[in-house]
Amino acid sequence: MARRPALITQTAIVSPGLSIYPGLMVSGLLLVLVCAVFAAIIATGLTQNTALSFDGVGRLLAFTTAQATASTLIALLLGTILAWSLNHRRHFTGRRMLLALLSVSMVLPTIVTALGLITVLGRNGWLNQVHLSLFGEVSGFSVYGIPGILIAHTWLNAPFIARGLLQRLEGIPAERFKLAASLQFSPWQRFKIVEWPALTIALPGLAITVFLLCFTSFSIVLILGGSPNFNTLEVAIFEAVKLEFDLTRAAMLALVQLGVCGLLVMLAASLPQHSSAISPPSLFYMWPDPKLARALQTGAILLFSVALTAPLAAVVIDGLQGDIFKILQDGLFRQAFATSLIIAGLSSIVTIGCALAIAATRRNLGSYLRTRQSNFSWLVGWLISFMGTGYLAMPSIVLGLGFFMIFQNLPIATDHLAPLVLILANVLMALPFALVVFLPAMQKSGRRYDKLAFSLNIRGLTRWRFIDWPTLRSEIGFVSALSFCLSLGDLGVIALFGNRDFTTLPWLLYQNLGSYRTSDASVIALVLLVLVISVFMLLPALFEKRPHAGS
Amino acid sequence: MLDLENITFHYEDGTQVADYCFNLSIQAGEIAGITGRSGSGKSTCIDIISGFLSPNTGRILLEGQEIGQLPPGLRPVTVLFQNNNLFDHLRVHQNVALGINTSLRLTKDEKRAVDEALDRVGLEDLKDAPSHRLSGGEQQRVALARSLVGNRPVLLLDEPFSALDAEVREEMLTLVRGIVSDKNLATLLVTHDVNDCHKIADNHYDLKDGAFLLRPV
Repeated sequence: MARRPALITQTAIVSPGLSIYPGLMVSGLLLVLVCAVFAAIIATGLTQNTALSFDGVGRLLAFTTAQATASTLIALLLGTILAWSLNHRRHFTGRRMLLALLSVSMVLPTIVTALGLITVLGRNGWLNQVHLSLFGEVSGFSVYGIPGILIAHTWLNAPFIARGLLQRLEGIPAERFKLAASLQFSPWQRFKIVEWPALTIALPGLAITVFLLCFTSFSIVLILGGSPNFNTLEVAIFEAVKLEFDLTRAAMLALVQLGVCGLLVMLAASLPQHSSAISPPSLFYMWPDPKLARALQTGAILLFSVALTAPLAAVVIDGLQGDIFKILQDGLFRQAFATSLIIAGLSSIVTIGCALAIAATRRNLGSYLRTRQSNFSWLVGWLISFMGTGYLAMPSIVLGLGFFMIFQNLPIATDHLAPLVLILANVLMALPFALVVFLPAMQKSGRRYDKLAFSLNIRGLTRWRFIDWPTLRSEIGFVSALSFCLSLGDLGVIALFGNRDFTTLPWLLYQNLGSYRTSDASVIALVLLVLVISVFMLLPALFEKRPHAGS
Repeated sequence: MLDLENITFHYEDGTQVADYCFNLSIQAGEIAGITGRSGSGKSTCIDIISGFLSPNTGRILLEGQEIGQLPPGLRPVTVLFQNNNLFDHLRVHQNVALGINTSLRLTKDEKRAVDEALDRVGLEDLKDAPSHRLSGGEQQRVALARSLVGNRPVLLLDEPFSALDAEVREEMLTLVRGIVSDKNLATLLVTHDVNDCHKIADNHYDLKDGAFLLRPV
């Protein structure tokens, strides 16, 4: 029986080999690492007094889940309102600045965010100063505890949701809005029939991602929790290792955390994949909204502009008031600065390498699966999907804990392997985000050039040089900045491995906060803020296509 | 019936500048076919008549009444685009029903009108199907069915059959011709295929240098 030409072509695209194995090798290696960590945690968790270590886990799990659920719901509500407002208001002064602020809040080290929020909302913060001058007394509001955690999580995640949803809304074809106008839809009908369906595609995935981020939130809860009553699993793991030296309890908590995160990641992997189906921004057509809707949009835009700017401004102002010169000359600061840059740089490079390899493999295996239906294709498809999001199930502090336990049994000093662990944790943390960017781009490049590349026998490095690099360089620039900033701000693993000889800027900042050297902490926060913004502006620009470079 | 009187429109987007001047008259039951190169202003003309763009000067008249000041929803005009004529998450009959009542709460008579419209375009059997399951040709038929229940006297077709294969396209052109004659609609068909005009248009205009030139059908 003759084979279909499409089948031959697609199979042959996959067969040259080079395009599959790097991704499989990277995935396999990371999987082995994650399994080793998992095994170490299980071994520690199950071999000792389990009953004692389970004490209070239920309460911790309940609080962690409750705060993550509340944070996610608030962030979803506010993020949706902001995205809707920004989609309806495409022309106002400062719109681009607000969009940039949304990105900054996503990559800003969480410890810097916490510090900024304390300056604005704390007992001696800006808000209380205003309250004092207006009413003659400070307000009863405290940024520590549940309000602070919810506000900080909303500050960090509502912009992330807004960006994701705005992309969806901007991708709605202009014809749909024209049709709605022509059919005389009311503003509510326009939202319900035209906009809401576009949002519902993205909402489940965003909700799960944000829930996971809040569920595994560490720095925010550590700094703003304020009391053991408001501890999450992640902070409890840290305290079990660092304060109580109870590795069994830490392992039990980590297993509970892994169980919940694993379930959520499996749920996320089973959701329909829509990332590649995002339409480019369509030509805009929108008829005027009624006054009430316009007032709501203006309010949302103003509220977010102020809310996003205030903590950043607070960090800048506080930082400039500190003794910058003294800090910059401090040996410990310089060491932390250099360590942070090196760790973040290496993490960024490794993340890009791993993500590109996995994305290429997923693209090629995807082509293969479309043409070969077997009994196991669903399993392979699910595994390929899991390769992208699976690492979210392993929070960095749990990963750090696993390595910490492995090192207990090795004849090597923990200090020597700490940088490696930090880089690995950063890579695993940044991979899901990198893949979200690379996968659609890689699939697009595949759809456009696979057949041409095959017919011209372009493969391996030649394919990379002539096809993948020119089409992906912008994405690589963005991901390099993203992974650099995420790595720069991580406080999870360094909290377990950090010491006087091995420290990063976030850890140094936390230590300064802990010893009430808030002035020094403010300067370090300012340095981190400037670093993140500079990297986010400069790195993508370095990768931008030069004129006439060809594409 | 539908008259465009000295409609002028200036377009500028940073790289392109264009000036259009439209004068056109379409009678009830007539199909005016418009062809022209990309960027010649075909879709701009449709957008102006349907109210999505405001002309710089000129008047749009329907049976002598000025309709140029009306918002899109109140204009007696139905538009069919090349794509995205349906809301994918709604069922076929709901997409048609939007032409009668956007709240989708219909009376018995209105429901019957939806069924009849679907029957007219040959999709009665698919009335409960999700719209995203339909083929390109079927989706355009549903949009045509909606124009039938809307009872608006002007039909604007903005390259609605460009993405269809030759056989389906032929069927759709025949269907449109029949509907226009039955309902006595003043119809503007924008297309890049001159053959479409030759098949169903009563008059063929070429849009060149921003203005209509009458061509023999």
